Amino acid sequence: MENFWFACLGRFERELSSMQFNTLIKPLKLDDSDECLRIVAPNRFVMQSIKDKFLDRIHQLGQDFFSRPISVELVLSDDAADQELPPVIAAPPAPEPVASQSKKVKPGSKTDTSGLNPSLTFSNFVTGKANQLARAAALQVAENPGGAYNPLFVYGGVGLGKTHMIQAIGNHLRSQRPDARISYLHAEKYVSDVVKAYQHKAFDEFKKRYHSLDLLLIDDIQFFAGKGRTQEEFFYAFESLIGANKQIVITCDTLPKEISGIEDRLKTRFSWGLTVVVEPPELEMRVAILIEKANAAKIRLEEDVAFLIAKHIRSSVRDLEGALNRVIAMANFTGKSIDTNLVKDALKDIIGRVQSITIESIQKTVADYYKIKVAEMYSQKRSRNIARPRQIAMALARDLTNSSFPEIGEAFGGRDHTTVMHACKKIDSLKSAEPTLVKEYNLLLQVLRGD
Amino acid sequence: MLLDFQPAPVPSLVNFVVGRNQELIDALRTLPLAEQGAASLYVWGESGSGKTHLLKAATALYLSRGLNAAYVEEATDWSRLSAYDAVAVDNVQNLDEDSQVGLFNLFNEFRDAGRPLIVAGRDAPQALEVRPDLRTRLGWGLVYQVQALSDDEKSQALQRHANERGFRLPQEVIDYLLAHVRRDLPTLMGVLDSLDKWSLTAKKPVTVSLLKQLLQPASSPTQ
Repeated sequence: MENFWFACLGRFERELSSMQFNTLIKPLKLDDSDECLRIVAPNRFVMQSIKDKFLDRIHQLGQDFFSRPISVELVLSDDAADQELPPVIAAPPAPEPVASQSKKVKPGSKTDTSGLNPSLTFSNFVTGKANQLARAAALQVAENPGGAYNPLFVYGGVGLGKTHMIQAIGNHLRSQRPDARISYLHAEKYVSDVVKAYQHKAFDEFKKRYHSLDLLLIDDIQFFAGKGRTQEEFFYAFESLIGANKQIVITCDTLPKEISGIEDRLKTRFSWGLTVVVEPPELEMRVAILIEKANAAKIRLEEDVAFLIAKHIRSSVRDLEGALNRVIAMANFTGKSIDTNLVKDALKDIIGRVQSITIESIQKTVADYYKIKVAEMYSQKRSRNIARPRQIAMALARDLTNSSFPEIGEAFGGRDHTTVMHACKKIDSLKSAEPTLVKEYNLLLQVLRGD
Repeated sequence: MLLDFQPAPVPSLVNFVVGRNQELIDALRTLPLAEQGAASLYVWGESGSGKTHLLKAATALYLSRGLNAAYVEEATDWSRLSAYDAVAVDNVQNLDEDSQVGLFNLFNEFRDAGRPLIVAGRDAPQALEVRPDLRTRLGWGLVYQVQALSDDEKSQALQRHANERGFRLPQEVIDYLLAHVRRDLPTLMGVLDSLDKWSLTAKKPVTVSLLKQLLQPASSPTQ
């Protein structure tokens, strides 16, 4: 069995993302037994995930390895089982019911102080390798708040969908239990509430509000850094809620132990429950996100177009949404259909040039292109193979920068502005006579503009 | 005493020479009608490309429609801005850490409420050097680069500016300006304004020779 288990581990390491492997497979232990494969999971989350996702695969690998069916037993480690835990929930519900249930929620009603945005649900949350673990954990918490994963600590870079995910927890719980007291807020809002309570000496009300919640969703906890009084109040709120089996969900830009400016007692508590990461989406997931967002806006987005956007916008989901917004706006404005040409145009505004164009960068680019030294741009030499590129560079400087003729002359070895004016006229007239010059000039324009 | 009879024209979307920026102008006009979550707009471009004009013009337009709109160009009491219906924030790259947090909060609040928030900066959102959580939010809404005007369009802009200030501007003066002065609009307009003032003082019409005297190096224009 041990040999088989090692083979199994090797297989999973190749087949799964490193995050999945490290979080789900690596913590598993083999309980040696000859009869069957007995695997010990460190906690219920891992056990449930293995059961849902990998049990079939283990059976299949066993069949291949032993050429006969094997029996697999999945158990919880004694440490985990000793704790008083709520029963493990079954497979996460399919997204569709969530959507229909969330319709019961009254969106945006004036009396709603939960801070929940009804449009952020699990059903329109695009899942990929980068976030499937976090999503599974979030769903479990939404189904079973105050249970094993308390607090749920979600961390990852900016604009990766953490807020959507924890909002979805709130919306899901509200659809299940409309009377649940839920509060979503940004950490900064909590800080300002503490300040207000301090100013108005209203800490009793403050405590009443926060300590009586069933679900507290708090975004960007790193904003607590260096704010002692806020941290103290949050410590009490944390103790009170966790003590009463009420659920806390926290997001942050980093791991609990790596947040700077936060008291150790809080950092320790943040990792009491379950810590999950949200990673930047890979290309396929970015494409899926774009198509999902386009569908929501009732826009048809071809896959090649989605790929083009996704290839250029890698950083965050927010930037992806922004790019799509702009593409749609441009299509509406121009009345053109959304194709790769339109997308290229729209992306220019979003990505932009890394550097602005200067006379120096023009001189360097032109010199490189014609294989002459940059110094020749300022030299007094007048041989044609040097004078021509120099004139081209002057004309480009006129076209691409706001510099005046005298400024351009100055930058080209202190030449008179009339020399620059002459060069620009010369290049203009040559362009109508020499097609190769037009080609070269346009190529240089393109290179410099970064098209 | 010299009286300046011609106050500088108020920036509006009408006296902005559009060039290749028609889509941006349209977006600014319709921004308050945008759906919730889509009412933020980020404008970027090099200095002198017209960002400040556009932000002030949009603010004036929203005010004229009865919205309580504000234009902000430096550190301010950000929480006070929550009370406004629409806000335009200029030069985001110059905001210090505290102001960036202030704008971050304002952004979240305005986005949730579907209120228009316009921000201008020098760089594209992905290259902007501000807090990443603010940077990605600015890239979340509509993003436009202000497209520089061509020399012909600049010539139009100068002519229009002269009309608004009420003086005749011969084309050869514009041509001379475009050949001899830095061609970003603030510089061009600045020279044109001084030229206007000087022509009033000197009681001479605006001509190339008057402009040459104005631009003469090493001595201030004298009569």
